[in-house]
Amino acid sequence: MGIVELENVRKVYPLGKVQVEAVKGVSFCIEKGDFISIAGPSGSGKTTILNMVGLVDQPTDGEVFLDGKPTSKLKDAELTRLRHETLGFIFQSFNLIPVLNVWENIEFPLLLGKTRVGKDEKKEWIDHLIEEVGLSDWRKHKPNELSGGQRQRVAIARALVTRPQIVLADEPTANLDSATGEQILELMKKINRELETTFIFSTHDARIVDIADHIIRLRDGLVTENVRRGEPAAAACSSGESAGA
Amino acid sequence: MNTIANIALRNLSRQKKRTILLGSAIAFGVMIVTLINGFAGAFSANVAENFSDLMAGHVFISGTEKGAKDKDVSVIRDDTALTAAVKASGAPVKYVTRRSAFSGTLIFEGKKIRTNVDGANLDEETFLRDRLLLKEGSWDAMEDRGALILSEKIARKLNADVGDTILVQMQTVTGQSNVGEFRLAGISFDAGIFGQMMSYANLSYVNELIGLAPDEYQTMGIMLDGLKRTESAAASIYAGLSGDVQLFERGVKDEKGAETPFQALMRQQSKETWDGVKYRLFTINEILSQIKQIVAALDTAAAIILVVLFIIIMVGISNTFSIVMFERIGEIGTMRALGVQRGGVRSMFLYEAVFLALGGAIAGIIVALVAMGIISLFDFGMENPAFIIMKNGHLSFYLPPLRAAGNVVVIALLTLVAVASPAGKAAKLTPAEALRTQK
Repeated sequence: MGIVELENVRKVYPLGKVQVEAVKGVSFCIEKGDFISIAGPSGSGKTTILNMVGLVDQPTDGEVFLDGKPTSKLKDAELTRLRHETLGFIFQSFNLIPVLNVWENIEFPLLLGKTRVGKDEKKEWIDHLIEEVGLSDWRKHKPNELSGGQRQRVAIARALVTRPQIVLADEPTANLDSATGEQILELMKKINRELETTFIFSTHDARIVDIADHIIRLRDGLVTENVRRGEPAAAACSSGESAGA
Repeated sequence: MNTIANIALRNLSRQKKRTILLGSAIAFGVMIVTLINGFAGAFSANVAENFSDLMAGHVFISGTEKGAKDKDVSVIRDDTALTAAVKASGAPVKYVTRRSAFSGTLIFEGKKIRTNVDGANLDEETFLRDRLLLKEGSWDAMEDRGALILSEKIARKLNADVGDTILVQMQTVTGQSNVGEFRLAGISFDAGIFGQMMSYANLSYVNELIGLAPDEYQTMGIMLDGLKRTESAAASIYAGLSGDVQLFERGVKDEKGAETPFQALMRQQSKETWDGVKYRLFTINEILSQIKQIVAALDTAAAIILVVLFIIIMVGISNTFSIVMFERIGEIGTMRALGVQRGGVRSMFLYEAVFLALGGAIAGIIVALVAMGIISLFDFGMENPAFIIMKNGHLSFYLPPLRAAGNVVVIALLTLVAVASPAGKAAKLTPAEALRTQK
């Protein structure tokens, strides 16, 4: 079933007086529960596509469908609400809130939006996530007291705390040593299997590409390869897969 | 606590030096303004109380009758009705004084000086002995009918010593020139700028000099247990007198509005004619109505200082928060990506500004209160020229709680205005922009 679909998406950035076309008309379909790698060299448009899928940026042309619904006409407040309810984010630089400790950083998304989780249920869930990412002894520590790998684990737990359908990870292993990067990947793969959360990565990392179910390769803002478990994938979700298609 | 407010509060501790610097700037401004407010708050009460002491009363009743050629003669011939009205008013009266006074020229060995001489019944006004400290001479010598107590300043100018005989020239209540002799019985500590005004003699002798009978006098002073009930006591006494005696209307204002109500009343009085004694009731507040203008000027000055200081501080705060916004641009992007709405980002900066302003303002008020406490410990002495604005020789302060709270609110609002622009810019950032721009 298609959970994300990009339809002829273009993104043009003004750079001084020049217009830079970062994404030049991209279409693809992502299925629920997939572990997807958007790979490509620097400047190929990976992060731009991830930002548009994550609704933190809007395409210049084309449409991004999230769970079958078009998003280009949504207002900022609606996009924010949709991000909060549907998506989790893992950043290359971890992007934790420095003044909050591990527990509070993970709790933070649950305090936003209108839906409130019961106190006991929340505590149980956050404790479970902290245990899953192996930070039980670090819950009261601030981000600056953690290693890079530990910070990324916190970011993973934070991304999962709202039980999002999709987790977007922008080069999540880029700032980690290879051993830690491997542990983080294993953790995400485990969560992907256990919770059926869709993981979408932008990456250079060959290890991620190796374990991905679905690989989309980019070059100069265009899709050069779109394969799903070794076979060419469709550029559009089938009508039964996505309401927007 | 609200999550965003909690983060804002914690953010203040991230750059401790910067927070302390900004908070100190706010605290300094608030401290200055609070000190001025505190001084102005006590100024009016201190001046009024000191004047009450000097004039021996909070509420006064004077009598005037029309003499030859319609000349106003200041006299109270029979105070039975006045005494009854004071008693019936239920006012918290400490004591009642009966005084006559003249403005005359003292002459001693070729030296002259103009001064006021108050004639007081020293047997009744025992409090005067406690308040007026003698540097030389003794109160016992006042038993001499022609005895006089001068302030140190006047005695020095006349080069007179205790025991010397001083000639005095004055006019009687009917305007006739007269001379008399005083024997210098005591020299008091100089009562500052009013030192030259206040000299004391026996009431009966002053009456003789100005042409009044021994049991007559000019002004009844009613000293209350404090300044606060002055107006209510005056109103009760005035009501008690109405119908029994002839009374000048209270609170008459000059149509030009340029003079004090007291001066306007005097002017009104000179235009009227009547038979017998007509009484005028006035209070220390009416005499000192200009003090209110001084207090208003001090408060205005404090407000101007508050605004000027805070415009300077606001520019600093605004610039600092602009820098802070760029420093935290990645966090803004992260928060927006995680689901914080634009309003949440704006609120975070505004909360931070309010916490900073409240912290600074409260610290400023505390420092000002401590400074007031320390300053008020210093004894400047009653001989200090500024004694009139002091309380028993000490500078005193009174900070109206509402004024302090008002200052805190003004500062919080000004800080919010200062931070509104950077907060607005932060809120307008799209998450992608913010995440792209992060360090």
